[in-house]
This record gives sequence, C-alpha cells and structure tokens, in this order.
Amino acid sequence: MPPVTSKELAVRMSKRLANYKLSDAVIAGLAERVLIDGLTAFRFDPCMYGICIDYFTDKLPRLDKLTSKHGIQKWEVFPYGIIDWDRFHVQIAFNVDELEGRGPNRGFGR
Amino acid sequence: MSTNSKGAGRIVGSVADVRHEQQVAMRSGFLPDRIVHLHPTRLCNLACRHCYSESDQRQRAALDPDLLCAALDVLRAEGYALLSLSGGEPLVYPALGTVISHAKSIGFRVTMITNGLLATERHDALLDMLDGMAISFDGMPETHNELRGRADAFERASDALQYNVARGRPVAAAISLTRSALADLPDLADHLVGLGARALQVRPVARAGRARGLDDSSFFSSADQARLFLVVHALRQELPEEITIHCDLAPTVGLWQQREAYAGLLGCGRNFPADERPLADLVNPLVITDMGALKPIAFDFDPRYDLMGIDEVTQQRLRVFKRERLAPLQELIGSALSGLEGRGGLVDWFDHCTRMSEQGGPGPS
Repeated sequence: MPPVTSKELAVRMSKRLANYKLSDAVIAGLAERVLIDGLTAFRFDPCMYGICIDYFTDKLPRLDKLTSKHGIQKWEVFPYGIIDWDRFHVQIAFNVDELEGRGPNRGFGR
Repeated sequence: MSTNSKGAGRIVGSVADVRHEQQVAMRSGFLPDRIVHLHPTRLCNLACRHCYSESDQRQRAALDPDLLCAALDVLRAEGYALLSLSGGEPLVYPALGTVISHAKSIGFRVTMITNGLLATERHDALLDMLDGMAISFDGMPETHNELRGRADAFERASDALQYNVARGRPVAAAISLTRSALADLPDLADHLVGLGARALQVRPVARAGRARGLDDSSFFSSADQARLFLVVHALRQELPEEITIHCDLAPTVGLWQQREAYAGLLGCGRNFPADERPLADLVNPLVITDMGALKPIAFDFDPRYDLMGIDEVTQQRLRVFKRERLAPLQELIGSALSGLEGRGGLVDWFDHCTRMSEQGGPGPS
C-alpha cells in the first residue's frame, strides 16, 4: 500500500473541515484557537495532535497568552536571529480529538 | 534671484511630492485600492436566485455613456484608481467598449466580474482591454446550475475561464457560497485552478436582493463562517503557492488592529477639513448603480447614505457633500469599528456595514 503523502492528507483535511462532519462547536472552538492575537497563520497542516499551524510574527510572542489558550498541545518559537532580527516563526499544535485520521507525527523543527 | 527662485521651486516640489506620496501610501479603509464599483446595467442573461442586485432579463435601465464618462473624469481626479465592472452582466451593456476605453485613457485600471456566458471570442476586443477579470461560480455543477436557473451555466462558465486563460488573460474566480455549497469548495477550487484560475475570491452569500427569498438555512451562521475560514486556510496549504485565495471574512481582532485604515474618513475635522481631501480617501469603495446613484460601500447600502445622482457629479458638488453630508457615514463607520473592540470571531466587514446602514443606526435624518 503506497504511503499517504502530506498533500493527500492536506486535501483530506479541507474536505473534512468543509463537509459538516465536525460539529459547529468543534469548528467554532478551533477557529477561536487559531485566531491568535498578533500572529499571522501561513501554514495549516494535519499532525498527530490534530492540526499544526505555522505563524509568522514581528513581535516576540506572548507565551502566557499562548499557554492560556485551550487545546494547544505543543508550541515552539523559532527566532530568525541574525537572518532577520524582527521575525519569529511560531509552530503550534492544536489538539482536535474529533478529527478522524489525524496526520502522522510531523515533528517540529522540520 | 533666479537661483533663489529655482531653489524655492525645488523645495515646493519636494514638499508636494512628499504630500502626494503620503496620500498614496495612506489606506482608505480595508481595501488595498481606491475602487469604483460600476453597475452600468442590471440587464443579465441569467436570473440567479441569490443575486444581490436582482438582475435579470427584464431590467432595461442602463447608464448614459456620456454622463458616465464625465462622472469618471471627476472620480479619477478625486483619487479613484480602479474601475470594477459588475452588473447585471457587463458584457450586455451596449456602450461597454466606450466606457472601458475612456476609463483606461484617464488612468483607471479596469476589471470586470462576469458570469462567463458571453466571455468568448465574440468579445475578444473588449476582454483584451481589461486589466483583469473574474468569472463567478457558486459551487459544483449541481449547485451552480440550480442557483443560476440554467442547466449549462457551470459548463459555459468553466469553458469561458479556460478560453480566457488560453488567451493569456489574468482570470480569477469569484465564488459566492450558500451554506450547503461550502462542502463543494475544495472540489471547486481544484476544478478552477485546474482550468487556470490565478486567484479565488470566496464569500458567503449576502442576505440582500433576491437572496432574501432563499431559505434561512442558505445563510452562514457564525460557526459556518468559522468553518469557511478554516477551509480557506487549508486550501491555501493545498493549492499551488502561486494561487491567491482570499476570503471576505476577516478576524475581528485583525480589523480592529488595522482601524487606522479609516483615519482618512474618521480623522476629518477642523484641522483636516474633509472637503480638502479627495473623495477616494473618504468613501471607498464607491458604487455607481444602473439608476445613476452614487453610493458608499455596497450596491444595497441604504439609499439614505447616497451621495448624489450621476448627473450631478462635479468636483464642486462633491466638495459640498464632503463638507456638509459626510457625518452620517463617519458615524456609521465609526460605530461599526467601535463594535469590533474586544469582540472575537469573524466578520464580513462590508456586508456588516451595509446591514448596519439598513438598521436605522446613526443614519441621516
């Protein structure tokens, strides 16, 4: 059996989100978690926790705000440092138990 | 003396350049451009069940091209840079070529939204003049054709997209979704990108015009809006990087943080008189209806906020409007912006303002 590619997983994610099988409450909760003050989402992947989102920001993220968000399983911050002092890459894994067939352990820092 | 004069000229010139650059750089609301949305006619070869302008084959009103071109001259001088043609179906407006030629000659960029039925080789000369076009879609064939009341509407719109891409034209798809059509979006996006669409613009159907006759379940709840927002995020990941996908729903927090975009409109007062600012800094987008009304924001914005008729448009009259009749729009936008503070979730900003205009709010007496 051929391995499932990340592209196939991603396609399945958009369809799973669009097809109304996830309840309104789950969707509303997920959107509320995804909209993080001051962060701009640019990647949206399935992962072993549910959904992993990559953000960029030009301000050092307020970690207390991140940890207070419900459903965040894991987060990491990557300062660009000497490449770009005012740029931070933030990866956050959101726990979405209801998402069937969650993705593989993508791992952080890929 | 001559040296001083030249020196003074340079200083004046550089100050003027800076002012011009500041005006160009200053945003006018949440749009990236200063836009005139033109509906030259509501005559249309379709009668879509969700059409906000209630266009169909019976609408015979059409703007006089001479009046329209004269108004566009004034509006260009008032800072508008993009003319967006809509309708009705713009390609059935007999004077479309004249209007596009004139708009281009005075420096407008011109784009058009069409249902695609007539965007064929028959109109190549017109289509070649455009800076961009968007073909409208409502879902996969069953949904699209049912809403459009025509069995081959999806096929012909798809053919038009493919034809115009093959002619080297930049083509986008404008996607209006009823609630049940949201499930179609991933497949529709694949289909449109496969045909060569460069961008997808997605929005929920507005509760306006003929769409008011749709069942309540056709419209998005706040959870449905969140679902659409997440689907669009997922699609950004799935689609090729060069495809732009835009959703009219924006995070309320993000808009609140960008509220300074309305400084041009809301900052007017004794120190910055409105009548000294170009209209495009204050009212954006500006809509011209088939009946010749100039309106702020949207076709269905409450008529109490109309600026004037197209036959009245002169810079002098616009100056009077800015000085004496801008306050209700300032109050409405100010109130809508204040309402964003501390609120979570998503908002379709222009639809939100339009619905507020209908609610009696702080409207003109």
